[in-house]
Amino acid sequence: MKMEDMSLSGLDNSKLEAIAQELYADLVEDSCLGFCFEVHRAVKCGYFFLDDTDPDSMKDFEIVDQPGLDIFGQVFNQWKSKECVCPNCSRSIAASRFAPHLEKCLGMGRNSSRIANRRIANSNNMNKSESDQEDNDDINDNDWSYGSEKKAKKRKSDKLWYLPFQNPNSPRRSKSLKHKNGELSNSDPFKYNNSTGISYETLGPEELRSLLTTQCGVISEHTKKMCTRSLRCPQHTDEQRRTVRIYFLGPSAVLPEVESSLDNDSFDMTDSQALISRLQWDGSSDLSPSDSGSSKTSENQGWGLGTNSSESRKTKKKKSHLSLVGTASGLGSNKKKKPKPPAPPTPSIYDDIN
Amino acid sequence: MVVSKMNKDAQMRAAINQKLIETGERERLKELLRAKLIECGWKDQLKAHCKEVIKEKGLEHVTVDDLVAEITPKGRALVPDSVKKELLQRIRTFLAQHASL
Repeated sequence: MKMEDMSLSGLDNSKLEAIAQELYADLVEDSCLGFCFEVHRAVKCGYFFLDDTDPDSMKDFEIVDQPGLDIFGQVFNQWKSKECVCPNCSRSIAASRFAPHLEKCLGMGRNSSRIANRRIANSNNMNKSESDQEDNDDINDNDWSYGSEKKAKKRKSDKLWYLPFQNPNSPRRSKSLKHKNGELSNSDPFKYNNSTGISYETLGPEELRSLLTTQCGVISEHTKKMCTRSLRCPQHTDEQRRTVRIYFLGPSAVLPEVESSLDNDSFDMTDSQALISRLQWDGSSDLSPSDSGSSKTSENQGWGLGTNSSESRKTKKKKSHLSLVGTASGLGSNKKKKPKPPAPPTPSIYDDIN
Repeated sequence: MVVSKMNKDAQMRAAINQKLIETGERERLKELLRAKLIECGWKDQLKAHCKEVIKEKGLEHVTVDDLVAEITPKGRALVPDSVKKELLQRIRTFLAQHASL
């Protein structure tokens, strides 16, 4: 209205500047007044000093501004260098690679690594057993188990049986190495090489009888399996064998096969003669090969029937007491090949195999 | 004559204020100033000063008038030059626009 009449055009620049300053002062004063109201209200309501803290605690929570540290003063990439130790292979692996490593190491997903590990372990065992062949550990321990996964063990015993007679690199040996545990059936001529056991619960009476006439059969305390080695298996005593036979076949059952193998045409029933023959046998036993189970059973059937069991048992017992060396191998073969003890073993073994 | 001129001056200021409010420019300027002052830490400085004043006077005896008397000169002085310049520039522009009418 009136303002339009006396329009601002008439004012000079200094006047305009003064007005501008005035307006600015007004605005600042407004802000100050607003701020004062704010503070006054905060004081009267009691929250003005709420955000006050003592300087000590302020120092504790100061924002850290240093290279390599986060705002809390922690090293922010400290986990990058962390290493975890694998519980399986006990190598230390970078934390970021730990999960993938575990997957492989424990053989989840693809079993390749676990299988590879086993293969490596086996090859190590093999090498070891080849290097210390005189190690008799497994002859004396009763902890053998059925299907003994440790092929090395089997191979060891293998070697011990054949060591005196054979070059370790002979073809026969390498052939036996190829046998897998399960492939050797009970009728296999080398079953005593395979230090496995079978569970007697699953056998029928006939099977049991035939088994006990051809094999050691002593039940391991450890695995509850029957020993499938030969009748003269060095791990078990005759006493144990007898106990097992009495347990399964009744008290009438004795060890016919043992008797028969001892009592043959080479000596008569007197103790002195038995002793002499035993000494002879001792002398040659180291060199003579162990007989195969199959040939022995045939012998048993041939000779074992008419003999005096008590007498022969006595001699056998004496033998086991006296002869420390010879029990392991070849009683049966002894009587046959007495004339020429050292030479024949290898051919006979090959006969059995082929 | 002088009185009429004074009157005319006052009338003019009133007219300008009216225009500022009518166009909403005054609100806009106030908001701009507030934001700038908070941004540059003016408010925090003034708050620290307030605390001293209030502790001096005692929490119970603080009045708005006391605060305004204590704070306003300080507030005026603490406004940074850049903010002051920007604001003045906005005001001049406004005046120039409306002086040409």
